[in-house]
Order: sequence, then C-alpha cells, then structure tokens
Amino acid sequence: MTKPTARQIKAMAEATGVPLTEDEAARIANSVGPAFEGFAPVAGTLPFDLEPATFLLVQKVSR
Amino acid sequence: MSSEPALMSLTAVAKAIAEKRVSSREATQSCLHRIARWQPKLNAFMAIEADEALKAADAADAALAEGRVKGVLHGVPLAHKDMYYDAGKVVTCGSKIRRDFVATTTSTALQRLKDAGTVRLGSLQMVEFAYGPTGHNPHYGAVRNPWNVDHITGGSSSGSGSAVAARLTFAALGSDTGGSIRMPAHFCGVTGLKTTVGRISRAGAMPLSWSLDTVGPLARSVEDCALLVGLMAGADPEDPTASALPVPDYMAAARQSIKGLRIGVPTAFYVDDLDPEVARVLDETLAVLTKEGAEIVKVDLPDQRQLTAACQFVLATEAAAFHRRWMIERPQDYGAQVYMRLQNGLAISAVSYLEAMRWRGPALAAYLAAVEGTDAVIAPVAPMPAPTIAESDVGNSHDAEAVIQRVTRFTRPINYLGLPSLSIPTGFANNGLPIGMQVIGRSFDEAMLVRIGAAFQRATDFHNRVPEPA
Repeated sequence: MTKPTARQIKAMAEATGVPLTEDEAARIANSVGPAFEGFAPVAGTLPFDLEPATFLLVQKVSR
Repeated sequence: MSSEPALMSLTAVAKAIAEKRVSSREATQSCLHRIARWQPKLNAFMAIEADEALKAADAADAALAEGRVKGVLHGVPLAHKDMYYDAGKVVTCGSKIRRDFVATTTSTALQRLKDAGTVRLGSLQMVEFAYGPTGHNPHYGAVRNPWNVDHITGGSSSGSGSAVAARLTFAALGSDTGGSIRMPAHFCGVTGLKTTVGRISRAGAMPLSWSLDTVGPLARSVEDCALLVGLMAGADPEDPTASALPVPDYMAAARQSIKGLRIGVPTAFYVDDLDPEVARVLDETLAVLTKEGAEIVKVDLPDQRQLTAACQFVLATEAAAFHRRWMIERPQDYGAQVYMRLQNGLAISAVSYLEAMRWRGPALAAYLAAVEGTDAVIAPVAPMPAPTIAESDVGNSHDAEAVIQRVTRFTRPINYLGLPSLSIPTGFANNGLPIGMQVIGRSFDEAMLVRIGAAFQRATDFHNRVPEPA
C-alpha cells in the first residue's frame, strides 16, 4: 500500500467538504505515513471472501 | 475501617451503607470534603453538584430507613466521565462545541448504575471528545496527576483516573477506544477494566469510533471493577451491538485462586524499549504472580505494529465521519490537537478503511492461536510512567502524532482486536509515580482477568496507597 501524498490528501479532503491548506495536507501526510507503512504487509493480501463481520464470528467461536 | 468514608473501597462503602454503619450523607459529605480540598490542584471535575448530591443522599438514607433498597450500590456517591448522557444534565464531552448540550436520554450503562442506587456527585473532566491519550484539554485545562501535579493523568478518561486516585469518588466510568481507561489507570495508580467490544452497551455514550468504543470502570480495586461491570454488562435493546451472552458472576471470580493458571509474557513489542522502571516493575509483577501459583510462559505474538496501524485506520476514519459536519461548520471550536487528529482521518480512503475492518477477524484468530495454552497475557500499559504536562503538551506540532503513537503503542492493538484488558497498579517508579500492567484476556473472558487481578491485589497493597495533597 502506498502512503498518500499531500496533494492526494488535499483532494480527498476537499471531496469530503473539508478544505485543507497545503501545510495541513503536508502535516497529515507525515502523520499517517507510518500507519500506511505498518499496514503495508497486510494490504492487498486478504482473501476474496472476507468481510468485516468475520470479526464477530471469530469473537464468538473463540470463547 | 478508616474514619474517613471516602477512603473506603466501593464494595466496602456499599456494604457499610446497607448495614447502616455509614450513611449515604456521610459518604457523600466525605467525598465532597475531599473534592473541595483537591479540585483546585487537580481540575478533575467538570461539574460539582454538592447540594443535589446531599439531597439525593438524604433521600437514599430515608428510603433505607423505611426498608426500601434500590440495589447493591444504594446511596453510594459516584461521578463519571462527562460523556455519558444523563437526561436533563449538561454533557460537554470535554468540548467547546457541546459546552451547553443538555442530554435528553440517559446512557444504558449509567442508568444501570442508577438503578443499583447510586448518587450523582457531578461529572468528570476528559480529553475533548475522548480523542487524546495525555489528559490535556485546551478548553477546560489539563487534569493533573494526584501523585505529582506536574505530571499528566493520561487520557482520555483523565478526570476519572485523577478523581479515583485521590479518593474523590468511589469509582468512575471511563471509555476505552485506544487506551483511554488503561492509560489513566496506569498513570494514576488505579484499577481500570477495558471490556470486550460488545460486553457493555454503548447506548447514550458519546461515540468516538463505533467499531472500537468500549465502556468500563476505573476504581480502587479489581473487586470494585468486577461489581460495576457485573451491573452494567448484558444485552440492551438500545444497542444492537451489545452482546446477549450471559453475564458471569465476576465477584465470584475475584475470590478464585490463580494456582495452576498459565500467564503469557510477550517475547517482543510489549517488552521493547521500556523505561527501566517499567521493566523492573514487570519483573516484580511476574514474581508475585508466580508466588501466587501461576506459571509464567513466553508467547510469540503476531506483529503488533500491523495491529496498531489497522487500529489507526479504523479510529481516525470513524472519528472523522462522526465529526465531519462540525469540521465543516465549526472548525474554530475544536482544540488544535483534536482537530489535527480528526483531519488525519480524511487521508484514509474507504478501501484502506475497509481493508482494516476486513482483517480484524483473521488478526484476532492469529492472536488467539498465538496465545493458545495460556489463560491470559500480561504486558505493560505504556513504556513509561507519567511524563510531565509540559513535555507532553505537543498540541498540533509536526511530530504530535508520533508522540501520541508512542504513548499508546501498547494499548491500541488490544482495541483493534476488541479484547478485554485489565490495568492494575503494580508498583511505583523511584520518583513516586505509579506503574501499571495490563492483563489481556480472550473475548468476553473478563472473569479471568478479574481472577488474576484480584489475586495480585490480595498479595500486594499498591492499589490501597493514597496520594497526599502537596
């Protein structure tokens, strides 16, 4: 997974209706970068038939 | 028994009131006396409702005299984090935006404690919208640690940690989305129980992240937490995510021995880069548990950094979704750090967010496979004792998120997995600040954590130590 650039973040935020300055976008890119790097080994590797509710199933059967 | 009722535990004062050895008025007055002495130093309370509390205490005493007992907490005065809706009361959520918000409903967790007979003392300070781990609040001021008022309490349940430690309330509700119960429990030297996602209804509790939010108590002992969770847990028609699983007898669990239990200690991540004082206290804690009959075994956990990252994706995105309207309409009314962190959520795409949500099941399964053969895992709550208020006041600086991530790195993986975790006071640093450890269990196995924590507290007195006003 590639971490988003400041330019991409600015565009995403504006699409949400929350405008950002270029400085803010640069700061956010710096803040979230480590999370994208941390999740990179997982991103794009998940099996097709997996949904968020699988968590509840695992939670239930693991008791 | 202490002559000062406020110094009693929750279970002890509830019993004393029921047996008419202490009146609700005496207990309430004792708390109010301590609040008057400590509040100027700690800033732990958002609102103090002395007259109403005494009136409610008198009504509780009158009812008891007539043989009308509401429940096991009849007449016990409590205050909670100011994010639990209480119909007719202002609930600020630690924010400027909700400074005058009057709740029209009462949260299920709070209502269940009221049904057990509690008296309201007021409300407790917190980090703005529960989004921060240190206890700073630009609108209402930082809450201070009663062990040393120059140091942070941890957050976001900052007032809960500070007030319980200073014996201003017998217990308090907190909430834990990324560590917000365990962090103040660790920094302030009290006991805090982050429950399994779904164990206690979140209805009427201010949301931060619906996938991660949990309700739980901070109290003076594991037994007190057990009593409160037993009262609050269970299904709730107001919250379809609240589990209908039976609620165990947590008080019975608190009386059980830990002889023969296997407690895991991680070989990495939770033991990396620890402050030497935290490392020392971890070793001492393991020695106590061994002496009580538990077997300590090493566990190799999956990469916890990935869980931390996934947690950040989920929390940041859901928080931004909740706050989007105010971020557009009232950005100037947020504190700088909270607004900055909400903005971070705008940078995570829907695909990234949902990938993090989809991975949650397999991640939980992998963790549970790694701890197979153990009854619980023990680890530090944070790598360090409480830093000073000044050094942790990073605001919205360029490296603020990195500082926040360092403080919360041992708590966030557990939130992502939705597991229960009990923070217990296990020692003190040489500078007098408390140090806690977290006992992490399987989903819905709070009873095992209570069993281990209570056994530890029978063998030690860290939870009974009380800070003195400077």
